Amino acid sequence: MSSGKIISIHSFRGGTGKSNTAANLAALVALAGKRVGVVDTDIQSPGIHVLFGLDENKMGKTLNDFLHGKCAISEVAFNIGEKAIDAEGRAKLAGKNLWLFPCSIRGREISQIIREGYDVNRLNEGFQTILKELNLDYLFIDTHPGLNEETLLSIAISDVLIIILRPDNQDLQGTAVTVDIARSLDVPNLILMVNKAVPKYDFNNIKKQIEDTFKASVAGVLPLSFDLADNASKDLFSLRYPDHDWSKALRGVADVILAVK
Amino acid sequence: MPGVFDRLQKQIEDKQSEGGITALDLADLPPALRKIMRLMLREIQLGYSEITNAVASFPDSERLAHKELDDALDTLTGQAWLIRLGERERAIYKVNLRRKSGSTLASGVWNTLDAKLKDKPE
Repeated sequence: MSSGKIISIHSFRGGTGKSNTAANLAALVALAGKRVGVVDTDIQSPGIHVLFGLDENKMGKTLNDFLHGKCAISEVAFNIGEKAIDAEGRAKLAGKNLWLFPCSIRGREISQIIREGYDVNRLNEGFQTILKELNLDYLFIDTHPGLNEETLLSIAISDVLIIILRPDNQDLQGTAVTVDIARSLDVPNLILMVNKAVPKYDFNNIKKQIEDTFKASVAGVLPLSFDLADNASKDLFSLRYPDHDWSKALRGVADVILAVK
Repeated sequence: MPGVFDRLQKQIEDKQSEGGITALDLADLPPALRKIMRLMLREIQLGYSEITNAVASFPDSERLAHKELDDALDTLTGQAWLIRLGERERAIYKVNLRRKSGSTLASGVWNTLDAKLKDKPE
């Protein structure tokens, strides 16, 4: 088996900042000198490519092409360190080993895959091939919120599952479901990350409450940030504003990932 | 004329179309079977001796005796969750995940959507 680790980033509900977190974490880990891949499995509503500066014109082959048997998974790889260093934050990734495997953002291709389904064996083989062929240290999988086939598969094959939640009662209930499933699938490392915490509250208290509720470790509590919203996914926030509280807290989460044996 | 590889590939594809495991099935498996399936999900394909070696490296509490492993592999292949090619010591096992089914929306909905999307520039 490849020694590379699969890190799935998941949240039960949408809007938790999952793709933003996945992109920034992958970038921080690549900055630490690791070989990193990021796969967008949010086939119905892809978005992580925006954070890496991709649009329809720049995008070549996609995960959809691979799932339809039109190309090899290696042809989907988009080298961020070479091709997407056009913004202040992303420029710091120049020469780093970071590849994105985007989904199609063409309406017809999204509707085709929803209508026809796809071979899940092929998706899984794609993950394992990426790990081996690119000799990755880490493969981040950005999932669709909630629970569906590709999300459950990514949880089942993960070495590390990061569940993102907001300190909100709807998120708390949904996270309980995901934690139960992750435990029943024997995920070796289950980590929680709280995002969009209102700054007036005591973050240590939030961390303790969440850890007590789920009996799982909270790797970081990240503040609700207008600065992050203002960035509008145009750049990798933690690289562009490394001294921001959100970025500092996210670096703590990256350190937890890097410490997993 | 198809070669050995093509024939084996065809054999695998035929068997894969017979069903397969979902991640939810995985959650319901007994721990030992789930451990084997998790291993197979990461390896995709392993020979019998490679599985034996991997199982031998499991912690004491999860290790399976020879007979238990054979029974586990029979159970998993019987459900078409693993595909077995060849016999016993020379067998190769391949994981078989169930295909993600397509939408059950009426075809008229998709035809209308297709027609609308065709009008959009690429």
